[in-house]
Amino acid sequence: MTEHGQTFVFLLTLLIFALVLGLVRMRKITEHFAVLWVSISVGLLLASSVGFPYLFRIATLLGIPYPPSALFLLVIFGLTLLVIQLYAWVSKLNERSRALAQQVAILGERLDRMVAERERGKAG
Amino acid sequence: METNGARRGLVIIPAYNEEQNLPGLLRRLRQLYPQLEVLVVNDGSTDRTSEVALQHPVRLLALPCNLGVGGAVQAGLMVAWQEHYDFAIQMDGDGQHRPEDIAGLLAALDRSGSDMVVGSRFLATAGYQSTAARRVGIRFFSRLLSALCRTPITDATSGFRIWNRRAIAVLAQHYPEDYPEVEAILLLHRAGLRISEVSVNMRGRAAGASSIGWMAAFSYMIKTPLAILMSLLRKREPGPSREEAM
Repeated sequence: MTEHGQTFVFLLTLLIFALVLGLVRMRKITEHFAVLWVSISVGLLLASSVGFPYLFRIATLLGIPYPPSALFLLVIFGLTLLVIQLYAWVSKLNERSRALAQQVAILGERLDRMVAERERGKAG
Repeated sequence: METNGARRGLVIIPAYNEEQNLPGLLRRLRQLYPQLEVLVVNDGSTDRTSEVALQHPVRLLALPCNLGVGGAVQAGLMVAWQEHYDFAIQMDGDGQHRPEDIAGLLAALDRSGSDMVVGSRFLATAGYQSTAARRVGIRFFSRLLSALCRTPITDATSGFRIWNRRAIAVLAQHYPEDYPEVEAILLLHRAGLRISEVSVNMRGRAAGASSIGWMAAFSYMIKTPLAILMSLLRKREPGPSREEAM
């Protein structure tokens, strides 16, 4: 890759790093995800600044003759892991919101009955 | 075992936009079974389901959002568990299930010693038998479940069922979400509970549209077997001991 291209990639990863930092500072990402994303963006920064020479070695190690393919493979693998983790998280949230909705309904009914009983008590 | 009169039963009716069908059903239930308590679970309806239900002597759970029939029935089962009901019945709010058949379900629960009895429209061929295409699907699931549970099931998708306290204990904790009727049978079987069927008559819907349209029916046929496979992969839910549940 030309120096020009490397600079471009570095700037892109810097942008991601800045975005993540901004979100963490504004508390738009919870701790749980903040740690993950800060490490991801630092990783990307390192990879794009000093990692390029290693790409060839990694590609050879994996037995992939075309280094950019190795890069894509690693990135897609990483993204897949992230998506799976997100699905797990969404499932958990779904379960929680279901339990909450059920509890709200059960407590609401109990409250309505108590209020009705009290009204009857006052009237009688 | 207590006598029939001393036992408390809860009829759980999951209702999504059933303002037209509920009044007739609730009146009939009251007439036939004044001793049973009725709990309508309004699953986030956009019509006057709650108002209509409250004109009758029933209890009403109003879910703040639409959870689907699984979430609605589970909310009813939580009430049944917390308030120590001896048995619970699920029936649809659309008029498909006839209140007259509750007596048969209850008798079958006592007679068979099962923990759940499913009302099947296919044990005897009378009443509403659903459309031909759906019957093929229902038969497929029933065969599949019969094989998996090693007990004959003819109407796996029927939402007309009765549970004893032991089954309530399991299902109040874990209730399948996506295809609850079919999966609940498997879940109870895997928890070591016994399931049987009794013949009931069903009618076509009185008013409104079925919650399962054509496209949805197609995806149901594909997704449910997958969901069954998935639930086989899942870790078993430990069933309660007899003492704990009684």
